[in-house]
Amino acid sequence: MSQKTTTQGEIAPRRKLNFNNLLSLSLVAVLLLMFILLSIATTTFATPGNISNLARQGAMIAILAVGETFVIITAGIDLSVGAIVGFTTVIVSLLIEGGVPVPIAITITLLVGVAIGAFHGFGIVRMGLPPFIITLATLTALQGVGLLITNGSTINITNDDFTGFSRGEFLGIPNLFWIVIVVAVPAVIYLHFSKYGRYLYAVGSNPEAARLSGVNVRGVIYTAYILSALCAAVVGVMLASRTGTGNATQANGWELQAIASSVIGGTSLFGAVGTVWGPLLGAFILATIRNGANLLNVNSFWQYIITGGLIIIIVYFDQLRRRKR
Amino acid sequence: MNALNVAEAAGGIAPSSVPILELRKLDKRFTGTHALKSVDLSFRRGEIHAIVGENGAGKSTLIKLLTGVHPRTSGELVWLGATVPLSTPHEAIALGINAVHQEVVLCPHLTVAANMFLGDEEVRYGLLKNRQMVADAQKVLDELGFNLPAGVLLSDLTIGQQQLIATARAATRGTKFLIFDEPTAYLTRQEAAQLFALIRRLKAEGVTIVYISHRMEEVFELADRVSVLRDGQLVGTRDIDATDENELIAMMINRSIEQVYHKDTIPLGATLIEAKNLSGEGFEDISLSVRAGEIVGLYGLIGAGRSEFVTSLFGRHPIKSGEVVWEGRPVRIRNERDAINLGIALAPESRRDQGLCLNLGVGHNINLPVYDRLTKGVTISARMEKEHADRQIQDLRIKTQSRNALALSLSGGNQQKIVIGKWLNHGAKLFIFDEPTVGVDVGTKAEIYRLFSALLAKGAGIILISSYLPEVYELADQFHVFRAGRQVATHGFKAVSHEQILSEAIGV
Repeated sequence: MSQKTTTQGEIAPRRKLNFNNLLSLSLVAVLLLMFILLSIATTTFATPGNISNLARQGAMIAILAVGETFVIITAGIDLSVGAIVGFTTVIVSLLIEGGVPVPIAITITLLVGVAIGAFHGFGIVRMGLPPFIITLATLTALQGVGLLITNGSTINITNDDFTGFSRGEFLGIPNLFWIVIVVAVPAVIYLHFSKYGRYLYAVGSNPEAARLSGVNVRGVIYTAYILSALCAAVVGVMLASRTGTGNATQANGWELQAIASSVIGGTSLFGAVGTVWGPLLGAFILATIRNGANLLNVNSFWQYIITGGLIIIIVYFDQLRRRKR
Repeated sequence: MNALNVAEAAGGIAPSSVPILELRKLDKRFTGTHALKSVDLSFRRGEIHAIVGENGAGKSTLIKLLTGVHPRTSGELVWLGATVPLSTPHEAIALGINAVHQEVVLCPHLTVAANMFLGDEEVRYGLLKNRQMVADAQKVLDELGFNLPAGVLLSDLTIGQQQLIATARAATRGTKFLIFDEPTAYLTRQEAAQLFALIRRLKAEGVTIVYISHRMEEVFELADRVSVLRDGQLVGTRDIDATDENELIAMMINRSIEQVYHKDTIPLGATLIEAKNLSGEGFEDISLSVRAGEIVGLYGLIGAGRSEFVTSLFGRHPIKSGEVVWEGRPVRIRNERDAINLGIALAPESRRDQGLCLNLGVGHNINLPVYDRLTKGVTISARMEKEHADRQIQDLRIKTQSRNALALSLSGGNQQKIVIGKWLNHGAKLFIFDEPTVGVDVGTKAEIYRLFSALLAKGAGIILISSYLPEVYELADQFHVFRAGRQVATHGFKAVSHEQILSEAIGV
């Protein structure tokens, strides 16, 4: 129906633009609306202390969600990120308590993340395992390893410089939020402005077509999982600094929050659709719900229900948008 | 139900010239498009009625109206003398109208028998009578002479065999009116022959067949009458004996056949690539060479090893033995990147599975092989990215609203242009086109052939794979016939007859 396509084409660009903008605008609007309502409903929300707190709370899930988004765009999934966070808190705290200088301890921890991501890539590309399975396996195994080396106990970090970082601010903005920016800027360049980003989408859309176009599909998959695990290791360091502890189970379930943030931010679990700013907004929407619910003294269980409802509504609107195309 | 009773009552006494289905001023508008313009057409009981037309002529819309998928905008449908609403697929099936589509719409993870009985399962005490269904399905398949097992998973069959199952399924459901939409697009010749036998048999049983195809030889082999659609209008209906290919094509496109196969005389240059005794998965001992300015055709049946040979040449699959010489020096092509870097481009056989990232933009698809070159420093140059995509869209006249439109929103012919177009400015010297015109209308075909000439004039060489003999015959300077993974014959331009080539390909 070439005729049909062209005639529709005259109307379509404007409409498509509207819907695309609508989604990102609606996310910003949801966030703003929550900010306004919470500022009116509580005296405690719009205080510098609480906003900083919110920024810290949202920061870690936001970084996880960005890494997760890379993987989801390739039509994969990384279930291990929560476990990597917990595991790397153990690694970094053991190193620091063992007397390793902080910068070296952090570097080693991040390299551990890279190694875990590379292992995922190996499992998927070389062993042919589905992403769901290989990352589910490392989720379980990493918790086991983490519990084994700490004998199930929690390591307390006594280095005040390290733990002080998470409480600190720079130019009035919490350090943890600065990390989000430090991660997001290269992430935006990578995904939206470099050829590697284009390859990521192509692999998620049709790996065979990408391959026959000369894209190194295996390399792209390795990269996506390494970046996801690296983001998780960064979050591990942040969490260790914030809680002052190393414990393999302290980020249990975060992978689901990361995936939820990504999906709320417009990432399609079928691959090839997603942005960097979407999951960032998604993560801070979730953090605001949690923060607001606490301030309003809402039973914390309600947070789960609200989050679930929000995922359904936002993804439903996304489906509508797709159908309209 | 009423309509059905009328249909049956009338069916008993109707002579064959009485129409089973009549379209009266059938009209369909989509938002902004007039897809079908007041079509008057009648189908006789027990005839094979072919419908031909370019992509976008309104054939798909017609099928969707007749099968109740889309509601019509205006006009009447008269089924055996009685006006019927025909507004839901359910109603169409109840009347006895069924369709077999180009792409198989069955469940690959269920058995053949389960698929044949899908929605109509035999049960006892609420439990499936699986063994009974397999036996019944097997009986049907044997009767039809298909020689296919009913107990295996559908996905274990080839696409062609699955198509036969889909047809058998439609044939066993009290069908009175059966629509085929390009059923042979993915079939081998043997499978197509089986399908034709089944179609003739259905006709003999009084079933009306509507047969939609781009392949003229099939239309002439099967049909009693043929109707031509162009731009949503019925151009005319002819008895098959009273028309010929030239007339039909002229009706379809307002142009004659000579203008379709366009071949310039281009002097041949140096040898680009030479394959010496190559063997690999699916092909053995293949030797050929391609010179600048030359089209080398590979003709054979589907599954003859041609695609396997070229994808291996392109580095997708390993070459087990033999030698490849590129511009005079031996090379080893280990992966696709190696091939691309040498200057080889491949437009693969299946645009859906291999050629396109369907849910990405047109521009993104076009630029995929050249992002290296569009990158300045770390980031892509947005300007170059736009310009490169827009230039291809313009040069190839790809009909799309913008470079950002998703590839899946384009028609088949335009999608094929993307598959080809993404290599044009890559600077490739050898172009491999694997079935470049499958499911593409005559107008687009002519454009693609003209593109070949342009490439040759620039000093490129082309390997052209086609299962459509006239294409290879009219275009290739030299062609090789493949059969069962082997090269069985080599001929020059129009050196031998169609019949001889066919018998070499089939092996009789």
